[in-house]
Amino acid sequence: MKFRPFRLSLLSLSLLIPAALCAVILFLLIYSAPAIGFNGLGFVTGVTWNLGNLYGDPVTARGFTVPAGADYGILVFVTGTLVSSFLAILIALPLSVGAAIFLAEAVPPRLRPVLSLLVELVAVVPSVVFGLWGIAVLIPLIGHYVSPSGNGYGLLSSSIVLALMITPIIATTLLDALMRVPKENRESAFGLGATHFEVVTKAMMPMVRTTLIGGVVLALGRALGETMAVAMVSGGALNILPTSLFSPISTIASFILTQLDSAQSDPTNMAVRSLAEIALALFIITLGVNTGAKLLTSGALNVRKRQS
Amino acid sequence: MKLSNMLRRATALRSGVAALALAAATVAVAGPAHAATTLVETGSSLLYPLFNLWVPAFTASHPGVQITTTSTGSGAGIAQSIKGLVQIGASDAYMADALVHHNPNMLNVPLAISSQAINYNLPGLGNAHIKLSGPILAGIYSGKITMWNAPAIRAANPGVNLPAHKIIPIHRVDGSGDTFLFTQYLSRSTPSWAHSVAYGTTVSWPAVEGGIGANGNSGMVSAAAANPYSVAYIGVSYAAAAAKAGLGVAALKNAEGQYVLPNAETVGAAAASVVTVTPPDERISMIFAHGKNAYPIANYEYAIVNAKQADATTAASLRTFLNWAVTDGNAPQFLDQVHFLPLPDAIKTLSKTQIAKIK
Repeated sequence: MKFRPFRLSLLSLSLLIPAALCAVILFLLIYSAPAIGFNGLGFVTGVTWNLGNLYGDPVTARGFTVPAGADYGILVFVTGTLVSSFLAILIALPLSVGAAIFLAEAVPPRLRPVLSLLVELVAVVPSVVFGLWGIAVLIPLIGHYVSPSGNGYGLLSSSIVLALMITPIIATTLLDALMRVPKENRESAFGLGATHFEVVTKAMMPMVRTTLIGGVVLALGRALGETMAVAMVSGGALNILPTSLFSPISTIASFILTQLDSAQSDPTNMAVRSLAEIALALFIITLGVNTGAKLLTSGALNVRKRQS
Repeated sequence: MKLSNMLRRATALRSGVAALALAAATVAVAGPAHAATTLVETGSSLLYPLFNLWVPAFTASHPGVQITTTSTGSGAGIAQSIKGLVQIGASDAYMADALVHHNPNMLNVPLAISSQAINYNLPGLGNAHIKLSGPILAGIYSGKITMWNAPAIRAANPGVNLPAHKIIPIHRVDGSGDTFLFTQYLSRSTPSWAHSVAYGTTVSWPAVEGGIGANGNSGMVSAAAANPYSVAYIGVSYAAAAAKAGLGVAALKNAEGQYVLPNAETVGAAAASVVTVTPPDERISMIFAHGKNAYPIANYEYAIVNAKQADATTAASLRTFLNWAVTDGNAPQFLDQVHFLPLPDAIKTLSKTQIAKIK
């Protein structure tokens, strides 16, 4: 009896989070409903993003009042977001797995807290600092030595900057998991005559697979939503899909950031609603990625249970 | 291991929160030293260097007013002034008709006359003042002209050794008054551009392989400096930075067919052509102005302000500052540093009439 108010208050507080999520989805759906009606399916497949003639008079098209020539298509931004994030994961994965294994196995126990703290601190650095470093150091480097056209802004720079930001996330998650692997697994593998490399790859890594996937999904979530750093190094592409590693790109988050003030000068308000529709698209992408990862990890768990 | 980790993190968290609370308390206590009116300005990166020269001089002679300035682009200046988030929205572009109909209280007050240069990064040709025209630039920015040694550019520049290299056109990604000026020049000089892309603070730039988007005038300078064989439209207040970065200034073809560079004479000629026809709401463009010597990309720099301010003190401070800006602020000691021109007397009178409407 004494516990009921405690239980109720805990219940209401814990329901606050899914309620907030539902509120955000509902707001996006309601606010972008006219844009969804106007844009239709061409929104996701269209390469052209045109706010229309904001200095002319609005016209009526497809039953909505929009600026003349308005045509909203986000394929460029979706492509830029997905390709840069996955490329970032590709670059970050060997770095972070290597760092975690190094910190867990090869570092003297006295040094481990210091070095792992350093890795955690990289995750705390604000993203705009990474963007500034990208502009000052990375872009001239890539422009002079790597890029065939001399242009440093683009897909490669964005992916490298993202990779640097997400490496500590994967590394610290994996390090925690590796430290929690029972000593018996390691020692029995050594006792059976396995080399250090075999102990790590065959006795320890399989046990942390779920956590690794979880860490990668967390990192992917950060990469998909990263706005500031990417806006500074991506090259702001518009109406053109990336064709090579050195093509300028635009990501969804950085595009919403740079377009918002222009969209607000649209008197019909269709531009801002279309931006809300882009946000909805990003939300669906992130949801899809997280659901896919959840299915992957629960599948892995089932496999492990059957084997034991 | 886990427990000690948890304890360590709990202690760290507690000391972190305590430090934060202490800092907040200090700020709250030390905060408002004395009640001064604060005016917030945001917007055009072209006008930003001039505002940074104005603010120290103005606050030195008017200690009761504080002004904060930021550079976010003309689109942001207009939008945030309309929403009431800032008192002064700096913009190179006047408000569109539809926007004025929706917000009849907004004023477009010219503060100075500025211009825009077309800068290029051609190694070795920095001082050559390459001749470019509206149709050539429209061709470059729509992907029809891809190489620096294209026939159209060679025809305009006889005797200049143009490299056989791809042109990298750089545009603004943020809502930009410079984009407005540049695209208006292209629209007025090239009918095909006017029909396909038109003009505005944001336009749907045609797909060009390798085209780059930059943020703000300073972003344009860095992007142009970092990319050889690029071309960018940069406000004249950044002329020193562009020159330092080794960028050349193009001579542009005006409405009379003459190739002119931006300087006091040519920009003054452009301004003179619209002074007598500037309407009371002062929304007029001097792009591609008539006049043998007129520079084709010149404009009034606007302060977008709401005639209805939140309270009388803010309105009074705003009137004081804006009146100061169009009189004392138009002195050579400020304008020469950013290569702007002062407003003609007739325009100063019109601006003061508009400023008097701020209540």
